[in-house]
Amino acid sequence: MTSYCSLLYLAVFLPAVVLIHRILPQRLRWAALLAASYAFFWSVSGKLLVFLLLSTVSIHHFGLWLTVEQQSRDNQLASAAPPDRKKIRQRFTRRLRAILLLAVLVQAGTLLTLKYAAFFSTNLNHLLNALRLPVNVPVPSFLLPIGISFYTLQAVSYLTDVYRGAIRADRNLARLMLFLGFFPQIMEGPICRYGQTADQLWAGRPVTWQGLTFGMQRILYGMIKKIVIADRLNLLIKTVFNDYTNFSGGIIALATVCYTCQLYMDFSGTMDVVIGSAEIFGVRLPENFRQPFFSRSISEFWQRWHISLGAWLKDYVFYPLSMSGPLKKLTGAARRRLGNHYGPLISGTVALGVVWLLNGLWHGAGWHYLFFGFYHFVLILAGSLFEPVAQRLTAFLHIDRTCLPYRIFQTVRTALLVCVGELFFRANGLRAGLAMFRTMVTDFSVEPFVNGGFLSLGMDKYDFFITLVAVGLVFAVGLLRERGLSLREAVAQRPLAVRWPVYYAAFLFLVIFGAYGVGYVPVDPIYAAF
Amino acid sequence: MKRNLPLLARSACFLTLLCALLLGVSYLFMPKNNHKSFGVSDGELLANGILGEKEHSIDVLVIGDSEAYSSISPMQMWDERGFTSYLCSTPAQPLYDSYRFLRQALGRQSPKVVVLETNAIFRPYKLNDYLLSRAKNLFSVLRYHDRWKALSVNDFGKQLDYTFTDDLKGFRYNPAVAAASTKGYMQPTDHQAAIPALNEACLQDMLALCRDSGAQLLLVSTPSTLNWNRARHNRIAAFAEKNSLTYIDLNTMPDEVPIDWARDTRDRGDHLNYAGAVKVTAFLGQYLQNAYDLPNRRDAAHYHSWNDALDRYRNIIKG
Repeated sequence: MTSYCSLLYLAVFLPAVVLIHRILPQRLRWAALLAASYAFFWSVSGKLLVFLLLSTVSIHHFGLWLTVEQQSRDNQLASAAPPDRKKIRQRFTRRLRAILLLAVLVQAGTLLTLKYAAFFSTNLNHLLNALRLPVNVPVPSFLLPIGISFYTLQAVSYLTDVYRGAIRADRNLARLMLFLGFFPQIMEGPICRYGQTADQLWAGRPVTWQGLTFGMQRILYGMIKKIVIADRLNLLIKTVFNDYTNFSGGIIALATVCYTCQLYMDFSGTMDVVIGSAEIFGVRLPENFRQPFFSRSISEFWQRWHISLGAWLKDYVFYPLSMSGPLKKLTGAARRRLGNHYGPLISGTVALGVVWLLNGLWHGAGWHYLFFGFYHFVLILAGSLFEPVAQRLTAFLHIDRTCLPYRIFQTVRTALLVCVGELFFRANGLRAGLAMFRTMVTDFSVEPFVNGGFLSLGMDKYDFFITLVAVGLVFAVGLLRERGLSLREAVAQRPLAVRWPVYYAAFLFLVIFGAYGVGYVPVDPIYAAF
Repeated sequence: MKRNLPLLARSACFLTLLCALLLGVSYLFMPKNNHKSFGVSDGELLANGILGEKEHSIDVLVIGDSEAYSSISPMQMWDERGFTSYLCSTPAQPLYDSYRFLRQALGRQSPKVVVLETNAIFRPYKLNDYLLSRAKNLFSVLRYHDRWKALSVNDFGKQLDYTFTDDLKGFRYNPAVAAASTKGYMQPTDHQAAIPALNEACLQDMLALCRDSGAQLLLVSTPSTLNWNRARHNRIAAFAEKNSLTYIDLNTMPDEVPIDWARDTRDRGDHLNYAGAVKVTAFLGQYLQNAYDLPNRRDAAHYHSWNDALDRYRNIIKG
């Protein structure tokens, strides 16, 4: 099983788990989900299941260790005289920090070793060669357990929350195993917090008709996004990105827009399948997307795109860094000199830089991913720096910033900036990305669109037509959501004679217009590779 | 159980209607003819040519991957022996597709012998692909869905009418030469190569299908230095013995099929070329006729189209 969109998952694995879950009494349902989760992991990563198991046991142990220390601290504080309490607190804070640091190092160190060792050693060798040193470090190659990037962040959030006292460490190893390994989310997230899902997973809520239908609808919607749109666009994207030197700027711009669309439809579509799968079991996973292409700025975009990653970086990197002693001092000093807008920006910039460095690196071991992170860092920073200027300028020009044309301008501008970032994200390396960007800017021509050249890149006019129809449908659903309307709840309130034809029509739309079978190459979910 | 009923009943009702709908749409999307212009894919066009043959007219059906269509020429067998044969072979054919072609062919033909070229038996495939293939067999809209681009009024209500057949009867003529090394080829060993579990199950299905339709299954390994070895031979020999099947490994019969690896392969031992195919076909035609008592139909009135095709085949191989 390599995809949540595979027939094996949707027609065999998921129904089998639903059936077993349905048959079992409430107190045993967690066992069905846990067994299914480990079976799923094994089917994808085989013997690397041992990694998941050992890693979970270590997280469980570190969590309990932190709790034991916290209890010991509380006991000593309760019996200590007031003057001694500060010292006790300081001593335990140091100890707790050391335990957390060790735990995070074990988790993040494993990720760093497995995912980034080859990248770092290759670049180190380049550096050594450039310095003409006759030394080369070996470039290791490791098998990656599926979902390690998502799983590690979830593990770090659990440990940090225990350290902060936001949650108590779970004594129940099985519950922690289920929280960390729940099969719908193990491959691509969303990156959940312990408080969000652990109890829901353990509760063993029954499979209800509403949960089943709503879950299946969500899965169907996600499949349409992934199979009809994303996989169809792959035909053109692969052609252009793998052979970019042979195309003009117009075609590269088209491929860039197509890739941005593909990435969104692929990732958010898979998220729909993931969230729908969980919904069947009565588990509500956090949303990972909230109509990102309705954003009016890059920072808003990142509050709507891959929300769980953004929230994780904010809670576990940005805030701790911003609130650290040195940066607080810096903020205070800068505020006195530069005022209330630009003052906090100085320390915020440092924290933001680290966030985007990690964001880029998290996506993969490659310079183009680092560039992708840096690009968004610069855009968000520029947005903050120039916001007062923009406000003054629009006021001077008497532009109403809340009027529809201005909002559309902001939305289109944001979408275009995002597309440029995705060009580097998808390019086969930073050099290729820069070359493509250069071609797009210096050799832009509409000729391929006039003479029909764009129809010879793997997608014919029918492919473009059906893609536009499907994107239009997704846009309409997004527009309704922006206005607070839920389409599936509206459909659910209709009589059966209306509901079922709608579901059948959606299913046939997927079956007929899906990009699968002869002439198409199956595309594994893009984010499963990160 | 009682509380489960409404959910199960509603689910069953929904799924039954969905299946009915898919069956209806499948008929709509199914190519109404086996010509390429009706939506049959390039890769399967020649293999599907058997649908255009007169019903119950084929004596020997050959199933397999590119090894089969590179090594066995039905027109040569017709010319030399006078019995009819057809190759339902496609490039890199997974065994689930072998099963599909066999089932499809046995629906219209009643061959005395089914020859299975054994290379496909060792080609692994994913469970998901196998399930998808089974689903496509059930609902052909899953296989032909991309025909939405070319649907016409004729697809609504028109009956199936297969009119295309291949003059070479599935054989692919290729005279190119690229010599092979025979280093390590068929070196003795007692080891048996493993057949993937899914393939083994698929083989049993094919065996049952042949038994049900009264055809005898013959396992044949055509010569290939790259794809065949003694370990594979041993495994197929053991399988054949266990299931009381006849197995001929042409890789172990240099006297009967004297392949010259400097001249008779088109891609360094991966596949035979036309010269190699002539040698394999000459032996196999004789063997099949003798072992299965196949009739000589060259002069039968119903088979004049085969004689016409033979003339065209001769023109092709003359170049």
